[in-house]
Formats: sequence, structure tokens, C-alpha cells
Amino acid sequence: MTVFKAHFDGRLKTLLTVALVAGGVIALRLLDIQVLRHDNYVQLAERNRTQILYQTAPRGRVFTTDGIAIATNAPSFSLYYLGTAHADKIYLQQLAKDIAPYLHRTTQQVLSKLEESGKTGKATLLVDGLSTQRAVSLQELQQYYPGIYLLEESKRDYPYGSMASHLLGYISSMTDAQWRKRDPKLGYRLNAKIGKNGIEHKFEPQLKGKDGGVYLEVDYRGRVKRIIQDKKWVPGSDVYLTLNFAVQQAAEEALKNSKTGRGAAVALDPRTGAVLALASAPAYDPNVFVPYSDQELPASSKRINEYNLAIQGIYPPASTFKIITGAAALEEGNIDVTRKINCTGKYDSGPRVFKCWGTHGPVDFFDGMSNSCDVYFYAVAAAMGPAPIERMERKFMIGRPTGIDLPGEKAGNLYGPTRRARNKTYWFVGDTLNLSIGQGELLVTPIKLAQFAAALASRGNVYRPYYVDKIVSNQTGKVQSVGQPEILQRADLQPQTYDTLYKALKHTVDDGTARRAKIKGLDVYAKTGTAQNPHGPDHGWFMAFAGRQGEEPSIALAVFVEFGEGGSSAAGPVARAMLEAYFNINAPTEPVAPHTEE
Amino acid sequence: MAVFKTMRENARRKMDMPLFYAMLGLVLLGALCIMSAVNSLSWSNAIVRTHLVALPLGLGAFAVGLSFNYQIYNEQWKWVYGFILALLVGVLLFGSYQRGSRSWFVLPFFSMQPSEICRICTLLVVAAFLDRRGQQRMYDVSTLVWLGLLLSPIFGLIMMQPDFSSVVVTLPAIVVLLYCAGANLFYLGLGALFACVAGFFTLSWTYLYLHPELAETWLGNVFYQLAHNGWYMAGFSLLVAGLGWLAWWFFKQLRLVLPTLYFVLATLVVLAGLFGGILLENHMKPHQRKRVETFLAPEADPQGAGYNVLQAQIAMGSGGVLGKGLFSGTQSRLGFVPEKHTDFILAVAGEELGLWGMLLMLGLYIAILWRIVVIAYESSDRYGYFVCAGIFGMFFTYMLVNFGMLLGIVPVAGIPLPFISYGGSNLVASLWALGVVQSVCSHRIGV
Repeated sequence: MTVFKAHFDGRLKTLLTVALVAGGVIALRLLDIQVLRHDNYVQLAERNRTQILYQTAPRGRVFTTDGIAIATNAPSFSLYYLGTAHADKIYLQQLAKDIAPYLHRTTQQVLSKLEESGKTGKATLLVDGLSTQRAVSLQELQQYYPGIYLLEESKRDYPYGSMASHLLGYISSMTDAQWRKRDPKLGYRLNAKIGKNGIEHKFEPQLKGKDGGVYLEVDYRGRVKRIIQDKKWVPGSDVYLTLNFAVQQAAEEALKNSKTGRGAAVALDPRTGAVLALASAPAYDPNVFVPYSDQELPASSKRINEYNLAIQGIYPPASTFKIITGAAALEEGNIDVTRKINCTGKYDSGPRVFKCWGTHGPVDFFDGMSNSCDVYFYAVAAAMGPAPIERMERKFMIGRPTGIDLPGEKAGNLYGPTRRARNKTYWFVGDTLNLSIGQGELLVTPIKLAQFAAALASRGNVYRPYYVDKIVSNQTGKVQSVGQPEILQRADLQPQTYDTLYKALKHTVDDGTARRAKIKGLDVYAKTGTAQNPHGPDHGWFMAFAGRQGEEPSIALAVFVEFGEGGSSAAGPVARAMLEAYFNINAPTEPVAPHTEE
Repeated sequence: MAVFKTMRENARRKMDMPLFYAMLGLVLLGALCIMSAVNSLSWSNAIVRTHLVALPLGLGAFAVGLSFNYQIYNEQWKWVYGFILALLVGVLLFGSYQRGSRSWFVLPFFSMQPSEICRICTLLVVAAFLDRRGQQRMYDVSTLVWLGLLLSPIFGLIMMQPDFSSVVVTLPAIVVLLYCAGANLFYLGLGALFACVAGFFTLSWTYLYLHPELAETWLGNVFYQLAHNGWYMAGFSLLVAGLGWLAWWFFKQLRLVLPTLYFVLATLVVLAGLFGGILLENHMKPHQRKRVETFLAPEADPQGAGYNVLQAQIAMGSGGVLGKGLFSGTQSRLGFVPEKHTDFILAVAGEELGLWGMLLMLGLYIAILWRIVVIAYESSDRYGYFVCAGIFGMFFTYMLVNFGMLLGIVPVAGIPLPFISYGGSNLVASLWALGVVQSVCSHRIGV
């Protein structure tokens, strides 16, 4: 009831209705924003206030049997800029000027990078791989510039440099193809580095840990307010190798110091086939792929030699093959080992005269072996014919890969009349003679010869060489056994054949070409070889197996020195160093202190 | 008529309790929101202290409004008018210059913004003027002309500060008042036409700024030239005049008798709209243009102009139904919501109190509007009705602009939300306004 009545009486009520409708519209819109699109906005709010900085987890370490880590991790620091569109120009200019030296960039470049990241509002990685020393000085700058943030990460480190580099491989950034083929379960980030060769590649899924992340709460200026969550990384699983650190180191040192510095050395445990050492020279330092940002590396350092001579180099076995010829003769040739043959320095096969490397006079089987007299083995082979030699080759699996779990292993080449017949060409007496002293088309890799030495040492067990013992998870402690002894084939010879061969090989060490490997307290059995090379200097071979006096042989090895000329002179010292290291004799080889960062 | 009544006398007359409780509820919520919003600021203590001082002052103002018989403003409207002009001239002379405008009196213990008080005084003066015009003359165009003459000094002085937001709130309130007073709808329609034409041109030109490639087209070029080239303006004026004449001729042929004045006025208003738009276009400040741009394309540049609205929406949206709880909104605490204790306080409320908090505030506002309307219809005289209508218009505008701005319905205007936003002068003025409404209530029929 009002005191006045007019045509406009209802107008205020109309407006109230309008207000109610407006309130209804606002309420509906609130419902839309706060209920229907709630999840979306929660995400946006979280993205606003959090910056996630990922921390590369340490990769699993690689140990030798004696518990020395030859691949481990070193602290490395990453510098982040928590970008914001609200940063003022003078602040950025000052910041760019101060951090430019750490980035190896000009102030202008750094400034434009800072401004760009400010636009995106995301944490931007300015530089990674900072050494601890540089991180400390940057930490001081962090006090003045709240927008920058230092993060500890983990970087692959190979403390012994090129140690076992051909076995370890290396890690480096992903290629496009690798990124496309990556295992999504492993959670790779774009700048992740993955194993490119060897163990690093083969056990990539196990070695890669789970990256950690620091969840930062930042305000609208990008200033870090607090750490919401520090998700700790999980290191990758550790790989335990069968390598013997001392032997590996001795082999590498000795190869490097050998006549040409090029070659390979492989040592196996004849009782299991486990690889005790596998060295190829020249080697490379895998650290060049994971440098600190302040390390100046010449561009050429990344052009590494990935050629693994120990499994990929094929050469004639030369005189070391006389063991097979001898074994064939002992098994099938029905020879009298005491019967002497007179070596006049040459052997007349009829169409051609074959030369010996010396003039040895009358030699029996043992002298023939110890002096590596070619004439003796020419005569034996000529009497026996080539077929038993080829059969003996097959017994020791010459011409087949050893089956070690490494990519690119070469098989070598079996040589004999049957193989020749397959090629539909003729076999001549000269071929038999060439075969008997390990020349001609016969080809083996250093690891093949080591496998052969191990087969001799174990009286006939041709093992598949293996180098990974077990993988131990850092997360669960679970032990996964990887390598198992596996006999590929048995070379069943009569026991007295082995006895005779052992005697002959021991004679070679005690009083023959392999005298360099004579070590007090050990029973060493060895044979040298000098592979004729029509294109340059001859190659030197040395194969051996040994055990403590009176015990069964516990190491078998083969050493190859490319262009080393003499088997004894070039490869002998390497073999000796390895044996000494293995049995810890004379010079007890202390592990050299890991290289230290400047 | 007794001008002064004792508080006891007034207390016997019944105050409208729903309005009082809604007001108290909003003031309480506002205090909580302000405390939460400024919690992370280093100068939060100063803000909270100022607000806690402003609260009793505001309640005092409410008591003054309540205890004064509202009819005194009608009787003494010339004094009120003089008071407004004195305050506005005073602030231009003695006010301090802050944030680009001279709109503050800085006194030893506190500062005050006179335009807040002037806003309500202006409504009281307009109500008094309309009451004096009488119902018959309300229909005449002369009423509007006289009102224009009466208000032009006030708005002139306000624009000299300049205080854009004060105009934005006061003008709609006066239009509401005129409408409720029974002004001729044709003239109000003309006013709306003027606003639409001016607004249309302003928005079009801003749109051209955002999309410079459109200026290449024929239509875009014509639009652009219209704002900057006198020949185009003259051509357009002729075109509008021609169209007006054509419409008049057409209606004449149809034997539909309409006063010729209507066509002349409509033509003039369209032209005035154009030139008003041109004036606005050429005198808009960069930050004001930015606001228009943001309104047109809020997502175009989320880090730039649209940033504020987007962040406010993220804050509200992430609050959900129940909110994150007071003092725990990340958007406001970490500074993503701008002007969080003044213009964007609703975003803080939405984030921390959630949907229920927002609906509660909206509901309390609607309740206040509803009670004001109820009181208006029970008022014992036309003046009381007009006063309530004006204050209704003012709070309605506040509500629409503040909620609408957050929801992306209206452009950002930088207008506080009474009772909720931080701002002592606004709080005191708003509480006084409700006191005046309560005074209308206490003098209603049958009391």
C-alpha cells in the first residue's frame, strides 16, 4: 500500500525482477566456472604455482669382480631460470651480465633467452653439467637473483677414463629415431642421454634410473616460495661384470705401451668362460660424451674409434695354430713325439720350397713346439694330410663366432680341404703346409684364440665367453643373474693328447719362444705366433693359460699386437703383465687413483 | 517537522531487520576476505588496521543515516548540493595526487575519497529535484534538461579529477532513479540509444586496433576514417540526417502521426552518439583502452591485458564448491590475482570460500536489493521512494559490474564491491546509504 498511485508504480518491482534474473545468470555462470570447469581451473592454478625441475637420476654403476666401479656418477648442477613476464628489464640485464660467463654466451644472447622464457612463464634450463666448483660461485648469485635456481643432478662418470671402454660403450643424446623408438615406460625426457654402445646400450632399461623432480611453489614473479615436494630419484640397477680390474688395467697399460700401441688382449676364466679382461687398443675415453659445461673439449675428441679389435679384428693365427696341428697329429697322425726331424731352415714340398723362420737342426715334437719350428710341422702335416687338421679346427670351433654377447663379432674363417671343396677349387700340398703353420686363408679373432686357449686349459670345454655376472637393483635389492657358464662344444681328445700338449706348451715357456711368460710359482703354458702380413709389418700373437703351480689353470688369454712383428717380443710383455696382475705377483698392481676433476 | 530525533525514539520505530542482518553478514564476510587477501602482503597489518578503524566509522555513519530523518535531505537539498560542490572543488584544490587522479583528501590520521560520499549525496539531490518537479512535469523533456544542468557541475568536477569509476556507478543509478520516478521512456530510450551508438563506435574502433588488417577492407577503412577525418564525419552526419528525413517522410505517407520532434531528436542523438564516441576514442587513456580490448578478446594475450580476468577466473574455478579455505588460496596468496583486496576481492572469496561463499554473497546482495524495494514501496512519501530507488540502482550497478567483470560479462572497470572490498571511504558511504534507507523504513506508513 503506497501513498501514491501512478502509471509507473511497478517500475521498481520490474527492476527487482531484472536484478533477480541477473543474479540467476551470475549464479549459473558461477556454477559453470566453479563446478563444471573446476578440474580444468585446478590444473591451471597448479600449473601457475608449481614449477617442476627434473633431476636426472644416477645411472646404475658398473663394477668389476673386485668391487671397483669403472662407471659411476658424479655430481653435476643445472642452472634454471624461473621465468616470469613481470621481471623488470634492469633486473634481467644485470642477471644476464652476471651469468653470461657461466653459459659461454654473450650477455645479449643470455638476455634474449631470459626474456623469451619470461614470456612462456616456465622454468628454463640455462645451462646444465656445471661442476661443483662453478655451482658454488653461482650459489652466491642465487642470493641476489631470486629468479635463478641451482639444481643438483647426476652425471655419468668413468673414473678410469678409457678403462674397458669398448665393453662399456658410452652415453649420449638421443637421435630422432631413438626418441621415436624409446620405451615410454622408462619416462625419458627430451634431453635425456641414453646408452649408445656396449653395456650402456645393452642394459639401458636397467641402468636408467627414475628421474627425480623438485616441485617448487612460485609466486607470480616466479620467485620460489617453498619446495612443495622433493621427489627423490631412484638410481638405476648396478651391473657387476666378470672383469678382473687388475688384469684389465694391466692389459690396457701394456697394450698402450706395446710396440705399436694397437692390438687386443682377452683373458678368460677357463673354468667358466667368464671374461677376465677384454681390451682393445686404441681405446677411447667415454667421458668426452658427458663433459662438464666448463670443460673445453676439441671437436675431434668425439670422433672415437668404436672398432673393437678384440672381437672384430680377424687375422691368421700363425704359429699358435701349431697346437691344433700338433693335436691333430697326436690324435690321428699316430706320430712318435720323440722322433726327431732335422730342420735345415727349409722344406721341399716338391713344387715349392717352404722356409722355416730359423734353422733348428734335429727337433722332436717338444722342441718343434717350443721353437715353433715350421719344418717339423710341415713334415708332420705332410705325412698326416689336411683332413685331421680341419677336423681338429672344427672341434675347437675355429671359423665360428665365440658367441660372446657383443654386437659385431666376426666369425673368422675355417680353412681346410672340405671348405675348399665347397668352393669347387683344388687343394694342393702347399695348402696343407700353409695350414699346418696357421697361415693362408685361416682367420681368427683375438677372442677366438682366447677361447681356444681356455678350451685347452679346461681340457676340451669350449665355453661361450660372458662378461656380465649379475645385475643388482638399487630399488628392491633384487639380484638378477645374467651370465652363466655355457659349454658350446666339447673337444674330446684323449687325455694323453692334452698331457703331451701341456708338456710341449710348458716347454715353450720354460725353454722356448714364450720364455717371456715364465713366472716363478706358476705353471704357464703358452705359444707365440707371428702372422705374416704382405701389406706391412707382421702381427704378433701370444696365447697362454696358467695356474698356480700344481693347480688347474685358472686363466687363459690371447694377446694380439697389430704390426708388432714378433709374437714374443711384442705380445709377450702384455701377456706377462696380465698374468702377473692376475696372480698378484712381483708388482702387485694397485688400482690407479681415479682421475680427478680439476 | 522535527529534524533531530533521539536514538531512543528511533529505536522504538522498527528498523528493517533482514536488511540489517544482510548488511552485517556482508561486512563480516568482507572483513574476513580482506584479512585473508592481504595476509601475504608485507603491509597487511596497515590494511587490516585501517579496515578495523573504518568499520566502526561506517557503523557510526549507518547510525547517523538511521537517526537523521531522511526528509531533511529533501528540505535542505540546496545545502547538500553545495556540500557536494564544496567537497569536489576542495579535493581538486587540496587533494593529493595518487595513481593518476586527484581524488584523495590526505588528513593526519586517515585519508578519504570525497567522491564516495558525493555519489550518495548526488542521488539524494536528484531525488529531491525529481520530487520537486512533480509528477506531471516528469513527462516533459524539460525535466531532463534541468537535471542535466543540475548535474553537469558535479560530473564536470568529477571528470577533472578524473574519477571514471565514480561516473560509471552514479550514472546508471540516476537512470534507475529517473525510470522509477516515471520519466518519459522515449527520452530514456534516446539516452540508451546515445550510449549504444557511442559504445558501438568505441568498441568498433578498438576492434580495429586489435585487428589492423581489417582497416584494409573498405568498411574497416570507412570506420577508421570516421574517427579521424572531418569529411567522413560530415558525410556520415548528412547520411544520418537524410535517413531521419526519409523516416519522417515515410511515416507521413503512411498517415501515422508522430511528432516531428521525435525524428529530429533521434537524428540528433545518433549524431551525438557518434561525436561522443569520437571524443571518447580520442581521449581514452591507454589503460582504459586496454580494458576495452581485454573485454573484446580476453584470451588473446593471457600474459598481457587479459591476464587479470583469466587469473581471477582460475582462482574462482579452482576454488570449487567448498573452496580452499580462508588464508589458503594459492592464486591470491602467491599474487596471481591482481588487486586482490580491492577490485578483485570476489576472486579471493571464490577461491577460498568456494561456490557457497559466492552464492552467499550474491544472495546477501539480492536480499539487500529486495529489502530496499520493499522499503521503497512502504515509504510515506515520494521522496523516500526516490531515495530507495537511487540507492537500489547504485547497489545493483555495483553488484552487476563486480560479478559480471569476474565472469567476463562486462569489462573490467576497477570498481570496488561495497562491504567486501577494502576501502574505508566506500565502506562508510555505503553503510551511510543503508542507514538512510533504514531511516526511510523507520518513517514508513503506519509506524
